[in-house]
Amino acid sequence: MPRAFKDKLLSDDFLVTAEITPPKGTDLSGALEDAEILRGLADALNVTDNQRAVMRMSPLAVSRALLDRGHDVIMQLTCRDRNRLALQSDVLAAYSLGVRNICVMSGDHTTKGDHPRAKPVFDIDSVQLLGALRKMKEGFDLSGNNIGGLPGMTVGAVSNADPSKPLQMLKLRKKIRMGAEFVQTQAVYDTGRFEVFMEQISDLDVPVIAGVIPLRSVKMARFMNGNIPGINVPQEMIECMENADDPGREGLSICAQTIRDLRGLCRGVHVMPIGKHSRTPELLEMAGIRKG
Amino acid sequence: MIISSAKPFEEILELLEGEDDIFIMGCNACAAKLHVGGEPEVINMKQRLERAGKHVAGWMIPSAACSVASFDALVEKNPALKEAKVILVMACGSGVSTVSRVTDLPVYPSNNTDSLGGRLHGEVLPELCAMCGNCTVYYFGGICPRGQCPKQLINGPCGGSVDGKCETDAAKDCVWERIYLRLERMGRLDLLEKIWECEESTG
Repeated sequence: MPRAFKDKLLSDDFLVTAEITPPKGTDLSGALEDAEILRGLADALNVTDNQRAVMRMSPLAVSRALLDRGHDVIMQLTCRDRNRLALQSDVLAAYSLGVRNICVMSGDHTTKGDHPRAKPVFDIDSVQLLGALRKMKEGFDLSGNNIGGLPGMTVGAVSNADPSKPLQMLKLRKKIRMGAEFVQTQAVYDTGRFEVFMEQISDLDVPVIAGVIPLRSVKMARFMNGNIPGINVPQEMIECMENADDPGREGLSICAQTIRDLRGLCRGVHVMPIGKHSRTPELLEMAGIRKG
Repeated sequence: MIISSAKPFEEILELLEGEDDIFIMGCNACAAKLHVGGEPEVINMKQRLERAGKHVAGWMIPSAACSVASFDALVEKNPALKEAKVILVMACGSGVSTVSRVTDLPVYPSNNTDSLGGRLHGEVLPELCAMCGNCTVYYFGGICPRGQCPKQLINGPCGGSVDGKCETDAAKDCVWERIYLRLERMGRLDLLEKIWECEESTG
């Protein structure tokens, strides 16, 4: 029996988590193939929840399909699409289906997705949802009714990793105070800035898993800087991409170096490629990470 | 102040299709201040309806459409109301609903009700308050995140703002940036430390 993600969090291992996107439709084969690429490489797979407010299959079903095939999963749960009844109800459902790791977040606004007229719910926020999950773990729902607890459930949260944003740092502290047992971050390119981020929270005893997104082109690097919150691609990285004969390979090489730098700074990396995981094994190989 | 805005005139004509002998009722409170239910707007509405071939039985501007006393009290102010077959209320939804309570005549709205807001130096300030029934605006430097954050986040901003602008609208400041700057000026950033837990009760 492989060790659970919860136990790995308590170990000294450098962890690898990776993102799996549920299908737009009912065919699970693409998501399962993507997960299969990561077998033996990732410690757990994050299953996204209508990411970027684009409607896809529920992460409940995808998580179960991955568990059935022997993958450990971290089910993502956003506050955008469910009120407190539905959130708690889906947590119970996830638990009964075998999910033992949940990562909570507010969620991108509905106006950013493919159903922009959908009603954004946001009944409770991510800090409050962490509080609800803590209560559920203790055996009670938000109204104080007995629900028997969620033994072995591990709950995490997300954060930007920009130490120059005091409100982001404040919210991260609130999440940890409310019981977040691990933190997965937005993509890191500037490891110097990430080091400052880690110093700022050095008083907090929480495993941080840094997000990485391999660059695929100069255009993508520039787009990230101007459009994706919390991301800073350093100028010299953009120049490396400009001078590369094979920008895809250069992006992987840069990302591998980032991962090597992150090894001494945090507890793991969370790989979120644009598209499929076909080059993730190559990336981890270049970064010198071997599992199993 | 209840923020309301005028419906397009074509939509009002569509609402009033087949109706005649219209009585126009403005509102001398919010709608008048917002220029969507004061005397100039009511007179303009009368003229436009007449140009469109409608008969306007009369008009009046109660001090507040949302606090009329009774139908008889309104008739006392303008007996022409007695001859009207329909009422067009140029006020917010509360005004339209309150007038509807004192008569069985069809009551039509000329405005859309947008939010609870205010007006300062002539500028309309929408969505100042979410009417949550549990006012905590003091903790946020007088800027309510429930009313103004599109995600109604009260424990801090989401991760979606870029350069201090809102995820949903790059032209709009993230309300949490404004709250932070205000509390910083007030020397009360400590207020932000408070965790707002989800409160629930039964029975």
